[in-house]
Amino acid sequence: MKAQKNRLGVLGSFKLMGANLRDNPERVAFLMHRITGIILVGFIFAHIISTNSLARNGWEHWMAVEVEHLRTLNPISLAFFIAMGAAVFHGLNGIRLLLVEALALWIGRPEKPKPPYVAPSLKGFQRRAIYAVFALWLIIWAAIGYVMFLW
Amino acid sequence: MPVDLKAVTRRPPETVKIWVRRFHPEKGATWWQSYEVKTHRGMTVLDALLKIKAETDHTLVFRYSCRMGVCGSCGLVVNGEPRLSCQTQIAEKATQEKPEIRLEPLYNFPVLRDLLTDFSEFFEKHRKVRPYLIRLDKEERENPKLEYEQRPEELEEYYEYTLCISCGLCAAACPVYASNPKFLGPHALAQAYRYLADSRDEGWRLRLEELDEDGSAYRCHFAASCSYVCPKVVDPAGAIQRLRRALLTYKFRLFRKRTAKPVEPMKEAKPTVPLPPEAEPIEGVDLSALEREEALIPKQKLLED
Repeated sequence: MKAQKNRLGVLGSFKLMGANLRDNPERVAFLMHRITGIILVGFIFAHIISTNSLARNGWEHWMAVEVEHLRTLNPISLAFFIAMGAAVFHGLNGIRLLLVEALALWIGRPEKPKPPYVAPSLKGFQRRAIYAVFALWLIIWAAIGYVMFLW
Repeated sequence: MPVDLKAVTRRPPETVKIWVRRFHPEKGATWWQSYEVKTHRGMTVLDALLKIKAETDHTLVFRYSCRMGVCGSCGLVVNGEPRLSCQTQIAEKATQEKPEIRLEPLYNFPVLRDLLTDFSEFFEKHRKVRPYLIRLDKEERENPKLEYEQRPEELEEYYEYTLCISCGLCAAACPVYASNPKFLGPHALAQAYRYLADSRDEGWRLRLEELDEDGSAYRCHFAASCSYVCPKVVDPAGAIQRLRRALLTYKFRLFRKRTAKPVEPMKEAKPTVPLPPEAEPIEGVDLSALEREEALIPKQKLLED
């Protein structure tokens, strides 16, 4: 008789466990933090390769290619735009996580359970901070898009 | 978890199709099996499972005990969400448009058969964090004479975490527990903090050293799913963040904790406090007779030996 292994593994991060933006945005933020982190790792490698190969031909040439590629809509500029969005979200959410995880700020005080039975850490100021992170992220990302493509 | 409290008043669909992810250990086979169940108002998922077991398929295996959300043995994954099956209404999960419910064994626990999971590892990790009060004075620990003094605000610091029923839903929902077998898990870490925050406990140095060496507290990423799915609102996510702050302050040698001492034994029996002059006894009650009555706790017990 053998028990079946049921550990979800890394893919468990991508299951939301009934979380949604209203009741458990922390899980959504966690998932997005993971995805943006993976995007950023990819971006760092692409960035090293691109700057390395272009820098050989001199700074002017590199700048000219950058402007040519990034000011018009094409797959490279779109990937750059997505990477910038990932960087902004990862940074903003990272600040919130630093304050919550290292200093235990914004998670309320322990209390006796009472209706409607929501845990204090889910009611604390960090919940509003998450919504602020989402709002700021969208605003900054839109501004980056405006500067890149429309300005 | 925000339970839909009005679900109990709603009538569920007449018949509900319940899909169960089954596992046969001898054959090593896993398959999805469906059962049609006739429902009634107020029917829970556990009721439906018991009905299936009684009427349709007696080979279906699941664990349950109290049927009222106290024992914590009937944890399941209902529609991809870890829940206590006795606290989940059929009307909450199945709608008229889609009268279907999917049941799976708890994630991250080895499955023994069908919906029955093995909690050995879970309890082993609980044992690792020393879930008991540590007193430095061995004599006092083995033969305690009187209770410890504790202020109400000190009780509030950890009371919430004592409500844990070890149902394992937090571990099933945690993304770190899913990917890292060495991670102690939200339940064990919350219990570690519960004893660390208890003013009667003197073993904080040992606890913090062990937790720092283990490193599990640093691996939490505050997805807060544990607090979200917890049926008793224990808030393990909050406990882990507080535990991490304690570890950080301990590293900087700033951790301070007031530990409670046993209550001082009384030197002599004190005189009875007289009634204030404005107090009037209820008619027909003889106060002097009440005073002569033997007290529930004899005074002699409170005095020093």
